[in-house]
Amino acid sequence: MKLLRPVLLNVITWALVLLISFPLIWMIVTSIKPQTELFRIPPTWLPETVTFEHYWRLLSETSFLLYFRNSVVLATTTTLFVVALGTLGAYSLVRFTYRGRETLAMLVLFTYLLPSVVLIIPLYLMMVSLGLSNTLFSLILAHTTFALPYALWLLRSFMEGIPEDLENAALVDGASRMGAFRDVIFPQLLPGIISTALFTFILSWNEYLYALVLVNSEAVAPLTTGVMSMLISAFNIEWSLLMAASVMMSIPLIVVFAFLQSYLTSGFGAGGVKG
Amino acid sequence: MTAIATNIPKSATPPLERAYARLGVLLIAPTILVFSLVIVYPLLAAIYLSVFSIYTPTLQGGFVGADNYIELLTGKAFWNSLKVTLIWTVGTLTLQIVAGVGLALLLHQNIWFRSLARSLVLFPYFLSTVVAVLVWKWLFNDLYGALNQGLMQLGIIDMPLDWLGSMPNAMIGVILVGAWKFFPFVVIAVLARLQTIPENLYEAARIDGAGPIARFFDVTLPQLRSVLTVIILLRAIWDFKEFDLLYLLTGGGPVTSTQTLSLLVYQEAFGLNQMGQAAAYSVGMMLVMLVFMVLYIRQTKEKNA
Amino acid sequence: MANVTFRNVHKAFGTYVALENLDLDIRDGEFVALLGPSGCGKSTTLRMLAGLDFPTRGEILIGDRVVNDLAPGKRDIAMVFQSYALYPHMTVGENIGYPLKKRGIKGRAREEAVQKAAALLQLEPLLDRKPKQLSGGQQQRVALGRALVREPQVFLLDEPLSNLDAKLRSYMRAELIELHRRLGKTMVYVTHDQLEAMTMASRIAVMHAGLVQQFDTPDAIYNRPANRFVAGFIGTPPMNQIEGAVDGGDFVVAGHRIPIDRTAFVDSLRDGPAVLGVRPEAITIATGEGLPATVRLAENTGHETIVTLELPDHSRIAARVEAARRLDVGHNVALRFDPAAIHLFEATENGARLNRDETPASVIPMRSK
Ligand SMILES: Nc1ncnc2c1ncn2[C@@H]1O[C@H](COP(=O)(O)OP(=O)(O)OP(=O)(O)O)[C@@H](O)[C@H]1O
Ligand SMILES: [Mg+2]
Repeated sequence: MKLLRPVLLNVITWALVLLISFPLIWMIVTSIKPQTELFRIPPTWLPETVTFEHYWRLLSETSFLLYFRNSVVLATTTTLFVVALGTLGAYSLVRFTYRGRETLAMLVLFTYLLPSVVLIIPLYLMMVSLGLSNTLFSLILAHTTFALPYALWLLRSFMEGIPEDLENAALVDGASRMGAFRDVIFPQLLPGIISTALFTFILSWNEYLYALVLVNSEAVAPLTTGVMSMLISAFNIEWSLLMAASVMMSIPLIVVFAFLQSYLTSGFGAGGVKG
Repeated sequence: MTAIATNIPKSATPPLERAYARLGVLLIAPTILVFSLVIVYPLLAAIYLSVFSIYTPTLQGGFVGADNYIELLTGKAFWNSLKVTLIWTVGTLTLQIVAGVGLALLLHQNIWFRSLARSLVLFPYFLSTVVAVLVWKWLFNDLYGALNQGLMQLGIIDMPLDWLGSMPNAMIGVILVGAWKFFPFVVIAVLARLQTIPENLYEAARIDGAGPIARFFDVTLPQLRSVLTVIILLRAIWDFKEFDLLYLLTGGGPVTSTQTLSLLVYQEAFGLNQMGQAAAYSVGMMLVMLVFMVLYIRQTKEKNA
Repeated sequence: MANVTFRNVHKAFGTYVALENLDLDIRDGEFVALLGPSGCGKSTTLRMLAGLDFPTRGEILIGDRVVNDLAPGKRDIAMVFQSYALYPHMTVGENIGYPLKKRGIKGRAREEAVQKAAALLQLEPLLDRKPKQLSGGQQQRVALGRALVREPQVFLLDEPLSNLDAKLRSYMRAELIELHRRLGKTMVYVTHDQLEAMTMASRIAVMHAGLVQQFDTPDAIYNRPANRFVAGFIGTPPMNQIEGAVDGGDFVVAGHRIPIDRTAFVDSLRDGPAVLGVRPEAITIATGEGLPATVRLAENTGHETIVTLELPDHSRIAARVEAARRLDVGHNVALRFDPAAIHLFEATENGARLNRDETPASVIPMRSK
């Protein structure tokens, strides 16, 4: 009984974990099966033949690489923009006193919860009238609507964790406010900045609604709408190809998970879920 | 917004303090600018648009006063979508909480390859909704989908089910996928909290003769209460406004059975080309959400105080 | 010249008044302690001097310069924080060199200064370590090193020893005294530990509820406390305060008369309610003639015994006797007070002292120039 319980616990836990991961495993399995093997009944739970032809076709015959490039540009620019603004903004919100500061912080929190569909109609009209529709720039601007409040909120929380006396010491030692920021606060904030940047990147990388509304040309479509259009436009749906696209689309995520996961977990604590 | 930027402290304050305040305003100024441009202005514009009738392709139309709101209140669309939204939110949120707390408790134990197990569990949360939907559409495929085939092999069903094309399967399907995609959020938050519960609380309970179940209800659950409140509020808000997952899985169908408010707004604006009406729906939706938002903001304020 | 002057400084946080009417005149090279219970405004005083907080009203001078509008870095001060506030991502050497770097001192000059400071504090072997890899005492010395590397005019220290264990604390106390002697620079030292203040400072500003209660030498603070707060704050155990009344040549408590010498007190001393102050060591426990009392507790610390005594009016006082003295709990005794060590205070809550001293005790040096 004493020995059995841990074993049982392990078996149950791992069974659940595998159940949860099954869709992802199935995605990978499907992506390396030959097309013909897909339509077997009953399905082959493990591929009989392993092939990478779908990946090859994805890269050579579809616009996947173009979408990928667009997504990289979009998510990277959004992240840089938002994290730069957010870092300075969070410094201001936490370490300075001026009238309206508290109100502003509450406004940030409010917009952090705001539904995108409320903003999408006026944003669409705005982009059209500015002649920005169908550009990556319009998407970058649109992405700041959710990424900036998020980044600000996260960074604010990280900033609050840095002892105030560290900055005070730098001031007494002869630094200006911005000097203290550069020499002392920024290095301390760096893990928080990385964490925020990762979250922002993932948010932007995964975003669908704005891309759907603001962009309808293939040339600037990011992965989300691009890959979905492959599903809709195909005469008969090539599931292997779509699964290969899904795997490829998740690569940045897998990289983050493999090497930078601790930053994601720390971001969670800061993101307003500490009870 | 500009009131904030110009209202630096009065001249009675010392110059150094004033200079600091000015620097603080300067640092937040770009953020305020961007905020005003992409959030505050559109928000006000949405309210403004909601009293117009605008045809999307031409962007032409006229002032209609409260007509859109009368339609919202008297028509069926808004109330139907509100009902759908509530069913979806309550359903998926319940599943998320149950699965999330359960798995967090299991993953808190000392199991083999714990960090690998945690990574695997967390992964769906960070996955693009597009990817999640593609994978699940393939799983739900009526003829060749692994779900139907698997269930048939296990003898649970003997005919393939139409998962997304009929009711109530479609609602069950989206709730299930929603739970799968978003429950890791609960896992992470609860795990983080579990790690801070002091071990001696459990020891004290054990000395008092509490079994594992009593320990869960007497020690763990009370400690999780505050974090669960926050999680439930936050996830309720996010599930309530979820668009991508439902739009991509069912498009709101069959007919409007899974058309939540977010989808209704989108459909009205870009499907039926009634932008003014859509704006009115979005304002209505925001007013409903405001209840949760105020609760969450108050909770956060309390914690900071 | 680096004397430090606070001129009628007020500080309010919103509606809460943290400091009122603060007047201090600290002489060049002096070691001054700000002493008081938690929340009395010591740190606020120091932070205003450093430029990290802003007075609501009043002027602060370093040397002859009004520094109110100067940034902290321009005040020629250095500060040691209670938390040490060492920069975690810099090595010990970089930490100590940072103030020099900020003043544009480069290369060999900086290195030499860092070496010199490190040598003074025996930090040379640690220069390449990060703060996290140091013990509390070592961190404390690095914080000191960072403060003195630049040889500023004024050192500000906010409870720098409070995070150390008792042994290290007494060692560092001696080190700081030695350091002050060697550098001869003005030091303002915040503490709530009266032992630190008494042993290190040339003068102590005792603070309470945002007000300076007394600013004087440790000797004067101990022997001529300006008011009941100071009397009750200084000394372990502090001065006993017995409520009663002055009646002619006697102090009357619960019907018993204690003779006093009225010429030792100010002319304004009137008959009526007053408080008699007497330190525990000025009490003789005997039998026969004297104020009757009952022994309630005798605590032997090894080198002395602190006796708690109950007076006829049920108030309690403490007396200090030699360790060998045996006193049984419950015994009735008679107390005699050393007449030269009797203080009288006004009967108000924080009543002023009424003794006539050669140098008036309650005078707080103000605006000497
Ligand atoms: N930023 C602030 N806002 C509001 N009140 C403050 C602020 N800083 C200090 N106070 C209040 O001012 C009073 C004096 O604070 P201060 O830090 O100077 O006390 P202290 O004497 O240093 O106490 P301690 O020994 O605990 O450090 C306290 O009552 C404190 O609560
Ligand atoms: Mg203090």
